[in-house]
Amino acid sequence: MLDNLTRRTFMKGLAATGLAGALGSRLAVAADEPLGIALVVPSPVGDVGWAHALAAGLDPIKAAYGDKVKVTVIENIPEGPDADRIMNKTVADGNKFLIAGSFGYQNGALQIARRNPGVTVLHASGFQVAPNFSPFAAKYFQGTYLLGMAAAALSKTGKLGSVSAFAIPELITSINAFTLGAQAVKPDIEVSVVWVNSWFDPAKEQEAAKALIAQKCDVIFSNAQDTPSVIAACEEAGVYAFNLNSSMKKYAPKTYLGCVATDWSPFFKASVDAHLAGTFKGANAFLGVADKVVEVVDWNPDIPADTMARIEEVGTKIADGSFSPFTGPITKADGNEGVASGKTMADAEIIAMNWHVKGVTTPLPK
Amino acid sequence: MNAIQFILAGMLAAATPFLLAALGELVVERAGVLNLGVEGLMALGAVIAFIIVYHGGGHLIGFVAAGICSALLSLVFAIIALVFRANQVAAGLAIGILGQGLSALFGKSYESLTVKGLPRLALPWFSELPIIGGLFTQDIVVWFSLAGTLAIWAIFTFTKTGLVIRAVGENPKAAHAIGYPVILVRTAAVAFGGMMAGFAGAYAAVVYTPLWADGMIAGRGWIAIALVVFGTWLTGRIFLGACLFGAVSLMGPAAQATGMDVPSQLLSSLPYLVTIIVLGIISADRRLLKLNGVASLGEPFER
Repeated sequence: MLDNLTRRTFMKGLAATGLAGALGSRLAVAADEPLGIALVVPSPVGDVGWAHALAAGLDPIKAAYGDKVKVTVIENIPEGPDADRIMNKTVADGNKFLIAGSFGYQNGALQIARRNPGVTVLHASGFQVAPNFSPFAAKYFQGTYLLGMAAAALSKTGKLGSVSAFAIPELITSINAFTLGAQAVKPDIEVSVVWVNSWFDPAKEQEAAKALIAQKCDVIFSNAQDTPSVIAACEEAGVYAFNLNSSMKKYAPKTYLGCVATDWSPFFKASVDAHLAGTFKGANAFLGVADKVVEVVDWNPDIPADTMARIEEVGTKIADGSFSPFTGPITKADGNEGVASGKTMADAEIIAMNWHVKGVTTPLPK
Repeated sequence: MNAIQFILAGMLAAATPFLLAALGELVVERAGVLNLGVEGLMALGAVIAFIIVYHGGGHLIGFVAAGICSALLSLVFAIIALVFRANQVAAGLAIGILGQGLSALFGKSYESLTVKGLPRLALPWFSELPIIGGLFTQDIVVWFSLAGTLAIWAIFTFTKTGLVIRAVGENPKAAHAIGYPVILVRTAAVAFGGMMAGFAGAYAAVVYTPLWADGMIAGRGWIAIALVVFGTWLTGRIFLGACLFGAVSLMGPAAQATGMDVPSQLLSSLPYLVTIIVLGIISADRRLLKLNGVASLGEPFER
């Protein structure tokens, strides 16, 4: 199991580990010393959600390497100077492999990578790259496209909704693919979005879900919320809902549509292997179905069989790279051309997407 | 259901956590004590109620236990600030941080679990009215907090207890001189405020958003404190302020869901903007503050 540290117990342990660290470096038994892997995440590692998915991604590494690695998870660290200090501390303690689990850790983590060439740093959702520093992100859009198809088949009102955290490209992309997938099944379907402008406020998220349901949206996409607030509210109201990262089926046994699950372990494992072999090279890792990082699980049995067959067909094409949700012609919400007919957006364009596709009725915040 | 109906139906429930905590803080401040620990007291109440409801203890016991635990924590504040006469601002902040820490500690193994909320009870006849009918279909806690608002107004307006609390807050020396136990009255007020904050947290965690997540109070305790000033220490205005805040916080999602072209960041910050504007207007009117403000607010009492 992982050694879960809360910030408080971590601070308490500072004196003790500081001493141990000093002794350890003096003895210098580098050869049989286990590789220290530290994961720092912004929210508590619960049963579900973003932090949970990251922590779970390290389990196979523990299983594969056993005593050769020592995994430390430090949870609930707000972005900011505190995070920089704690990440520095983990490296000072001898960890040679750091996973910075939030966008806002970027500058601090990058500094650590520059100052410690022997340390490998993976950083979630960022854009900076260095020889020992790789940003990583998931191609959620590959999954939300498929769920859009399912949502359109199940929707009676022709209106879908999304409760979304912040209007950043990663989330906009997910909504766009969801909309395009839905339009592939029902061309005139509409999607409303409520931006709650917060990563974490269960009450606000639930209010947003209820507002969408009041507007007759009957499938809700919980976009980047770490708690089951939206999923639970939808089960109560009897509308379908799905989310990202890890399955929340137990919170909505009847109306859970599915989950765009992320399994970070293939990427983490490959990076640890490369680090141990001394071949790690920092690069932008944008990982999807083909990388076995993104997968849709827990499909709702209510989805009609013919739709499901179509979804599976498209899913296979996405996996082997013969189809991308962002293939033209795609019209922007403002009526301009987004992607020309026959063209497919490159990864770099998808990562930077800052416009809604036609069919998303809520204007994008500027 | 259109946006107006949605706001009307949800307004009172959205207002309830603010209202309960603000009513408690009102009594505390009326007695001349400034307790800034409401956020932490709410978090503690929330986690205690959640744990009890999660293990099948029921909502009633959950609320009672939340009230007791938060009252006990607020008594720690009372001892520091009233008995040892520490700075009330610093002591309140410390207790608030302690409460949040305790809630994270107790809630560790309950992170992102859910429970069942409470059913909504419809007031016969009224709930069938067009448009405003939604206002009269609320869960029992909302009905109780409306009754509580009325009770607190009545106590301050008509009863000796209310007058004693106000006397202790306005001029503790005089109250002491005519034989009222100032420290005791203030301690009781602080404990009452703690209990109400506990109820408010419990409502947030087991009724309004029936789940536990560390940090779920998300600043609502601070809004409750602002509401007391916002309402110029008058029960009725605090109630109106809470309702306004509840309505405005629902306006954001409602407007976005209908596809209105208003920046969502503006809508999200609207409740806080409204608070700042109203606080500004109130503070501009010196007479209003003088008339209703509490004269010895935040000052330690020495015999």
